[in-house]
Amino acid sequence: MAEFWQQVVGGLATGSVYGLLALALVLIYRSTSVLNFAQGEMAMFTTFIAWSILQWGEYWIMFPLVLVIAAGIGALVERVVIRPVEGAPVLNIIIVTLGLFAIFNNLASWRWGGIPKGFPTPPEIHVTGIKFFGGGALDVGPTAVSYHDLTIMIFAVGIMIALYLFFQYTPLGLAMRATAQNPVASRLMGIRVGRMLTVGWALSAVVGAVAGLLIAPLVLLQPPMMMGVLLYAMAAAVVGGLDSPVGAVVGGLIIGVSEALVGTYTPKDLLGPDMKLTVTLVIILVVLLVRPTGIFGRRTLRRV
Amino acid sequence: MRRLSPPRTSQIIIFAVLAFFLIWWVPFSHVLPDGVPLRLPPYRTYQASMIAMWVIVALGLNILTGYNGQISLGHGAFVAVGGYTAAILMVDYGWPFWVTIIAGGVIAGALGFLVGIPALRLTGPYLAMATLGLALATPQILKKYDGLTHGTQGINVRPEVPPTPEFIKDWFGISLTNDQWIYLLVLFIAFLMAILALNIVRSRIGRAFVAIRDSEIAAQAMGISVPRYKTMAFAISAFYAGVAGGAYVQVVGYVSPESFGFLMSINFLTTIVVGGLASTLGSVLGAAGLVLVPSELPGLLGHIPGFNVSQDLSWAFYGGALILTMIFAPYGLAGLFHRSVRRVSSWAPRSRAGILVGLVVGVAVAAGVGFALGLAAFLITTAWVWAPPLVGVGARSYSRWVGALRSPLGSPGRAEAGPEAPSSQDHPDAER
Repeated sequence: MAEFWQQVVGGLATGSVYGLLALALVLIYRSTSVLNFAQGEMAMFTTFIAWSILQWGEYWIMFPLVLVIAAGIGALVERVVIRPVEGAPVLNIIIVTLGLFAIFNNLASWRWGGIPKGFPTPPEIHVTGIKFFGGGALDVGPTAVSYHDLTIMIFAVGIMIALYLFFQYTPLGLAMRATAQNPVASRLMGIRVGRMLTVGWALSAVVGAVAGLLIAPLVLLQPPMMMGVLLYAMAAAVVGGLDSPVGAVVGGLIIGVSEALVGTYTPKDLLGPDMKLTVTLVIILVVLLVRPTGIFGRRTLRRV
Repeated sequence: MRRLSPPRTSQIIIFAVLAFFLIWWVPFSHVLPDGVPLRLPPYRTYQASMIAMWVIVALGLNILTGYNGQISLGHGAFVAVGGYTAAILMVDYGWPFWVTIIAGGVIAGALGFLVGIPALRLTGPYLAMATLGLALATPQILKKYDGLTHGTQGINVRPEVPPTPEFIKDWFGISLTNDQWIYLLVLFIAFLMAILALNIVRSRIGRAFVAIRDSEIAAQAMGISVPRYKTMAFAISAFYAGVAGGAYVQVVGYVSPESFGFLMSINFLTTIVVGGLASTLGSVLGAAGLVLVPSELPGLLGHIPGFNVSQDLSWAFYGGALILTMIFAPYGLAGLFHRSVRRVSSWAPRSRAGILVGLVVGVAVAAGVGFALGLAAFLITTAWVWAPPLVGVGARSYSRWVGALRSPLGSPGRAEAGPEAPSSQDHPDAER
C-alpha cells in the first residue's frame, strides 16, 4: 500500500507540471483557438535563460526576473508572428507555432549546447518555523513525499488561485474573458482586443516558464526536455476540455497519476512500463469518446 | 476580357507530368557524358525517391484533411503499418514486392477505417490529439510485440528489394542502377496515386467530402451519409499512407520502430498545409519542399560568406521559412502558383500561349519560393540582429505591409476562426 501511495503522490507531482503547461495551452486556446505547439519550447528557452541568470544571481532574484522575461517573449511572439496570421485558418496558425518550435529549439541548442545541465530546486525558506521548498522528504502517513514534489504542487495550486482571482476580480481579467468569449462584441464595448491577445500570450508564457523551472530539476536542462512534457500537457488539456482552465489542471493530475500507476501495476510481459504512454493514450481516447470535448469542456452548439 | 479560371484537371496533369519528368530526368542523367554537371550522385536519386513517397502520403492526407476537413496528426502510424506489412511479407513470407505494397495499403486502409469510427465523435483539436496519440503509441507497440515486428532491431529488407528487371535494358537500351530502378518504381506508383486522387476528389465521393467539410448539417440535409463518407475518407487516406509505407520499404530497404516517430506525422501535416490544402498540386509541391528544404538549407546557408553561425541555425531558418510561408502564402505553394498563373494569363491574350506562359511562371514561382523564403528569413533576422535602431521603424512598416498584403483575404476579425475550421479554402464556418 505504501508503494501505491508513493506512486500516487509522484503522479500528482508530475501531473501538476503537466497541468501547468496545459493551463498555458488553454490560456492561448481560449482566445486564439489554436494549440500552441511551441509552448513547451518557449518554456525550455526561458528555463535556459534562468540557468544563465543563476550563474551570477540568487534563485529568488532570478525567479521574478525570468517571469518578466517570459512575459516579454510571449508578448513579442504574439506581436511579431501570430498577429500577421490572425484571421488565417487554424491549421495555418498551427504550422506557424511549429515554425516557432523549430526556432526556439534551435536557438537554445545553438546558444547553450546540447549537453544536459543540472538545474537547482528552489532553496528552502523557513516561514514561522515551517520549512518550505528545498531538498529532503517529508513523512506523510504511510509514505514519504519529497520536498520538490510538494514545491511543485504548491506552485501549481498557487498559480491556479492567482489566475482564478485575476480572471474573476480584476478589470483586465474581465476584459480578457470577454475577448475570449466574443471578440467582436468586446471590441464594440471598447476593449482593445489585440492588446488582450498579447497579454494572453504573455500570461501563458509566464505559466509555461514556471512549469519549465519546476520540471527542469527532474529531467535535466536540455533542449528536448519539454517535448514529452508538452505531449502529456496537450493530452491533459484535451482530456480536461480545451476551453477550461480547471479541466487543464484536473486533466494533468489524471494523466500524471494514471501514467505512474500503469507503469507499476500492469503485467510486465504484456504491457508494463514500456507501454505506459500507450495505455495513457488509450485512457484519453476512452474519455474523449464519452465526452468529445473533454471532461470540463463546453459542448459546441451548432447553428445552421 | 474574361479572366481564365484556375487550371483544370488536364492542365494540372500536364504540369504534374512535367514536374515528374523534371525530377525523373535528373537521376537518369548518368546517361549523359562524363563531366556534364547534371550527373548527380546516388544521394539525389534517394532524395527524389523520398519525394515521390512523400507525395503519396500527402495526396492521401490531403483527401482527409484538405477535402474532408478532418485533421490527422497520426499518419506516420499508417505509414508504419504499411511499411511493416510489406517488410514482414517480403522477408518472412517471401511475397513479391508489388503484392506487399498493395497488401500494406489494404491493411493500413482497414486500420484507417477502424480509426475513422471513433473519429466520428471528435472534431478539430480533439481529433488532432487523438490521432497524435496513435502516432506516439506506434513505435512503442512495434518495439513491445517483437514476435511479429522483430522488435527494436527492425527488419532489413535490402536482400529482398526487387532487382532491376531485364526488360528495361532490352527496351530502352539503358542500364539502371538498382536505386534508379526503385526510384522509377516509386515514381510510377506516385503517379498512379495522383491520378487516382484527382479522380476521387472530382467524383461524387469527392464532392460529398467537400460538402461535409463545409457544413456537416447541410451535407446531411442533402442526403449525404456523414458517417459513411467520413470513415471512407479515413480509409482512403490510410490506404495512401500504407502504400507509401510499402514504397518506403523499397526505397530505404530497412524499417525500425524509430523510422516512424511522431515528428514524421507532424511533418506530413506541415507538408499539405505548406503545399496547399485541398490541392493535388499542393501535395506534390509540399512534398518536394518538405523533403528538400530541411536537408538543403544548411548547405545553402553555408554559401553565404561571413555568416558562419548560419549553418548551426539552419533549423531556425527552416522555422522562419515556415512562418513566412504561412504569412505570405496562406493557401500554400499551390495557392501561390494558381495566383501567379491567373495574374500572368490575365495580362496575356487568352490563348494557349498565355496559359503556357502562366504555367511556366507558376512553376518558376513555386520552385523559387522555398529558396526565396529562406533568404528572406535570413535577411530579416540579420537586419534585426545587426541594426537594432531600425527595429522600431521596421516593425511598424512591417505590420502595415503585412496588413496590406492580407487585406484581400477578407476581414481579419477572429470571429471566423472557430475551433473547427481546419480547411484552408474560404468556406463559411457553420459551427459556432
